[in-house]
Amino acid sequence: MSALQLAFVTFFGLAAVWFALVVFRTSSMMRSALALLFSQTALGALFLALQAEFLGVLQIMMMATEMSIMAIFMVMFMMDPGGLGQMDMTHQKRLSIVAGVVAAAVVAVVAVLTPWGAPATSIPNPSEQLQGLGRELLGRSMLVFETAGITILTAMVAATAVAMPALQRRRER
Amino acid sequence: MSVLAPILALLLLAWCVAVLDAWMTTGRFRPLAPLTATLALVAGESLVPRKPDRLFFETAPILLLLAAVLAAAALPIAPHLVITDLATSALFVNAALAYVLVALLMAGWGPDGAYAMIGGWRFLGQTIAYSMLIVMPITAVAMRAQSLLTTDIVRSQAGLWNVLYQPLGFALFFVAAMAVSFLPPFDLPTASGELAGGVEAEYTGARRAIFRLGRTILIVSLATATTVFYLGGWLGPWLPPWLWSALKTLAVAAAMLAAGHAVPRLREAHLLAWAWKAGIPLAMLNIFLVGVLLLVIP
Amino acid sequence: MSIGLLLALLTAAALFGIGLYGALSQTNLVMIMMGVELILGGALLNLVAFWRFLHPGSYPGQMFVLIVMTVMAVEMAVGFGVAIARFRARGSVEMEAARELQG
Repeated sequence: MSALQLAFVTFFGLAAVWFALVVFRTSSMMRSALALLFSQTALGALFLALQAEFLGVLQIMMMATEMSIMAIFMVMFMMDPGGLGQMDMTHQKRLSIVAGVVAAAVVAVVAVLTPWGAPATSIPNPSEQLQGLGRELLGRSMLVFETAGITILTAMVAATAVAMPALQRRRER
Repeated sequence: MSVLAPILALLLLAWCVAVLDAWMTTGRFRPLAPLTATLALVAGESLVPRKPDRLFFETAPILLLLAAVLAAAALPIAPHLVITDLATSALFVNAALAYVLVALLMAGWGPDGAYAMIGGWRFLGQTIAYSMLIVMPITAVAMRAQSLLTTDIVRSQAGLWNVLYQPLGFALFFVAAMAVSFLPPFDLPTASGELAGGVEAEYTGARRAIFRLGRTILIVSLATATTVFYLGGWLGPWLPPWLWSALKTLAVAAAMLAAGHAVPRLREAHLLAWAWKAGIPLAMLNIFLVGVLLLVIP
Repeated sequence: MSIGLLLALLTAAALFGIGLYGALSQTNLVMIMMGVELILGGALLNLVAFWRFLHPGSYPGQMFVLIVMTVMAVEMAVGFGVAIARFRARGSVEMEAARELQG
């Protein structure tokens, strides 16, 4: 990996972790949602730095819209969206801090101690990756992809059906 | 040199679009109006609301400008006049345009005012309506070009422009482009009569100048995208390639600005209903038709 | 053993830990879902790092990333549908007050 790429990986990695911390440190709900958005964008930029161009662009595109939808749900459902009330809305705080730190430590130790082997040297260029991914999607992994598509459709119908008001109230309208 | 020329071209096109917009709205052709208007805004008083969310209030216009410029950066004006030539350029344009939504949400939430906030959240509803309508025609265009490189997409139209090959896709993309740049009749975030300017209202002075500049460059980016994807980009007989691109972009921008003048603003519920119940099946029909044409015509 | 691989894996570990903290400590359903999104983001980063550094010619790795992104979107959709239904029934989505849904 070239030094510039390494610098980008470090920068976007730190940005992703910092924004993720801001998500749970700030008391303003809107800032929390947009901090998550920028954390995921930093993740997408990390994918670009790791030369997975299609995945990076896809992540950046999808997460902008998804996290904005999360922002409106926060404003709809939470009591203090502006964060001016300084409420503390957490429970079992010590347990979760311990769980988070232990989980991160275990994953980090496994990552550092496993002998991963020599890193690969030749990465296909983005056009080849795009074609290869397309052939993979419509070739070997077609069943996976079709199942995912049907699952998305089912989830959309199910979520809409769950979220609609009860039948009696709908007939009254 | 390779970055400066496209950016200057972008600013020049934005200037022309601003003059065009003023001409259509007021009937007076004033070629120096953008300069005088910008100077007036920058030199004027800059009011800040009483308790804004400072971070969002400052960031929103800059993010809008950045999103528009990034979207234009992946689109070619001439065969070698493109700022970045990613292999997934067509998708990158869409990714950059998604941040227009984030910018308008910030602009809605930042000033801590009712009209701005309603405008911002209405734009989220509008985004849910137009997102599919802007990606699916791009899919059909990429199918014909067999690549996501914008230069390849232009070259694939050497025989027949996409506007004639995929007219349904062109119509859907045109409408979705108007919705992205919140032009009437899709101007829910800045509804001029109803919301007193909506997301734009609380910005004064230099911030409003940046917001307006961002919005104009967004219109130019979308017009360039329509030209590149459907009108053959720089292809044309006698004039130099960049002139063809510029003329086509200005024609599309004029069409976008004029198209909504006689149509009333679409209510958000109706916009969502039309987009999801009529727009998406039409977009899928477009993909199907293009697929059949590609397989049948050698 | 590449420095880039280590950096990416450590970042993913940090995101996983922060996401787990969020998912366990928050009482509101929407905040819990944000924690879960961070956990999935960490998993995605791991997948991309392994693809890039260990098997760059193998496209099922990228396919897996697409499937995880799909899972993120689907889980958000169903989760928010449930949140709307709960909000309609009860007026809030606080999970502390949702003992009757347990088990």
